[in-house]
Amino acid sequence: MNFYLDYQSSKPVDQRVIDAMLPYQHDTFGNPSSLHAVGDDATEVLEASRGAIGAFIGAEKDEIIFTSGATESNNLALIGYSFRNRDKGNHVVIAEIEHISIHNIAKYLEKNGFVISKVPVDQFGVVKIEKLAERITDKTILVSVGYANNEIGTVQNISQIGALCREKNIAFHTDAVAAEGLLSIDTNKDNIDLMTLSSNDIYGPKGLGALYVRKGIRINPLIIGGGQERGLRSGTENIPAIAGMKKAAEIIQNEMPEETKRFQQYRDKIINEVLSKVPRCYLNGHPTKRLPNNAHFRFDGVEGESLLLSFKEKKIAVSTGSACSSKTLEPSHTLIALGLLHEEAHGSLEITLGRFNQEADVDALLAVLPEIVKRLRRLSPLYKEEV
Amino acid sequence: MKSTQYSDKVLDHFKNPRNVGTLEGDDVTVGRVGNPVCGDLMEFYVKVKDGRIEDIKFKTFGCGSAIATASMITELAKGKTIDEAIKITRQDVADELDGLPPIKMHCSNLAADALKNAIKNYQEKQKPAPKEDAGSAEPGEILGMKNFEDRGIFHEVTDLAKFADKRTMILDSGERSMEIALHLTKHTPRVIFVTKNKQLPSGSKVEELKASTVRILYESEILEINGLNTVEKVTIHDLNEDEEYELFVDSIIILR
Repeated sequence: MNFYLDYQSSKPVDQRVIDAMLPYQHDTFGNPSSLHAVGDDATEVLEASRGAIGAFIGAEKDEIIFTSGATESNNLALIGYSFRNRDKGNHVVIAEIEHISIHNIAKYLEKNGFVISKVPVDQFGVVKIEKLAERITDKTILVSVGYANNEIGTVQNISQIGALCREKNIAFHTDAVAAEGLLSIDTNKDNIDLMTLSSNDIYGPKGLGALYVRKGIRINPLIIGGGQERGLRSGTENIPAIAGMKKAAEIIQNEMPEETKRFQQYRDKIINEVLSKVPRCYLNGHPTKRLPNNAHFRFDGVEGESLLLSFKEKKIAVSTGSACSSKTLEPSHTLIALGLLHEEAHGSLEITLGRFNQEADVDALLAVLPEIVKRLRRLSPLYKEEV
Repeated sequence: MKSTQYSDKVLDHFKNPRNVGTLEGDDVTVGRVGNPVCGDLMEFYVKVKDGRIEDIKFKTFGCGSAIATASMITELAKGKTIDEAIKITRQDVADELDGLPPIKMHCSNLAADALKNAIKNYQEKQKPAPKEDAGSAEPGEILGMKNFEDRGIFHEVTDLAKFADKRTMILDSGERSMEIALHLTKHTPRVIFVTKNKQLPSGSKVEELKASTVRILYESEILEINGLNTVEKVTIHDLNEDEEYELFVDSIIILR
């Protein structure tokens, strides 16, 4: 039996979503740009999907642009907005704990004449509004702060940030990929102008994302072609995936309250047990302002990749922010931004729950975790067993 | 190839590492190698008799391949003369393990270096080397300090509540600084104690400090303080590794 506790990395597509997509692979295969009836069927589902996604974030359907995924949405938001509004200023503010795609887009903007400021976070990963406010200048055109962090699960004070940006007349982008499906999002209440969504993160198909663009916000396209998506994202629409994301959004809207309650129970069980059973173990992220499905720890004297390998032995899939398991061999920038030392970031373990988890998954993890940590600590020169 | 795509041999040594532990005694020398970039650390304990490695043990903080390479080299080195053992290369270790993922060849293949270090320390011990003075350099000025007076730098502590939930760094100035560090743990989960010393003098306060949640950075000093208006991060100089790195903090206590 396999135990999957790494929903942050990838989610399975819900069977109901697959069922909703299938007809669009063969029977209803039209191109929305065609004027015949086959094309009309495609147009219908395209617009209905925009409506369903809009409904789940408090937006109108015309405010949804389909993309190939969250990375493209982040590119379209930051590059598209900055280049279009260059005459208003050249300063963009992001948070230190943004997803790597935002950091790398910011580097690209820097190379193209923009100035980037990064707001630090507190030890729980929260962007403090005063720290953000003091970085805003009369050249600032855009602020990008993720709704919730994909690694440590800390949820930001989004409405506070939105209100500040609105007051200063600065566009506010949020990458909501980690939060979507787990928190109720309202773009109007929170004054969000641009928002990144991913289909897979609500159990829809991979290869599809969306960007919410508030009416009146102007952006440049990055992909030029036949003028689809109001000219902001050309290319023939991926109708089967779009039909899938529609179904995924509808399911989330109906089932989120129930589902997140369950996650939270599991999460709290994990956090309470691990903290009480394992000595010198700490919770990363905020104790309460965190995603209902996220538990993130660090263990003194233990390295994350060794942890992962040990869990792999037990057929348990989890994740880590350790340098040893990353492509660059750098520790997670998010953990460093919390104020952790490299060796502390090294010993991190990320557990993210999802739709198909059952209590048995949680129990399987908890049954082996203390022993795994103990074994690795016996090997470690950094940990002296307490007598 | 993924960084964790390990051979069966690597996995075997990871699961059942050979010769884990420490050795004690006058005839034991220790070799220690760390990777400052990622924080991996390896310690080897070597007992040499008649020019041969009679016994060898290790401890490792690191990834799967760090543990496996350490375990493997203990098997390779045991029974060899020190001249043979010092010639064992990273490649030899990797070959014996049926290869390592390319990205891991350098970062976690530290075992050969750590063993060499232990043997060199043994050779040093054989010749009566003049003990070098532990350089008591003048405390260098901390860059940026002037900019943050009353903006995150404190020279005295009157109100501990001010530090509630702040990542607080405190410089070692003896017993009183340790006392404050301990008191601070009741107000914030993050207290970092920075000392230039390799060890803290034994005493009850030190024991208390070590058992607390306070992070102690030994052989370290602050080089620079940065932030927009208030303290946001510091550059730490690790005197042992001669490495610099950044650390996010909110307040710094430098007692006068």
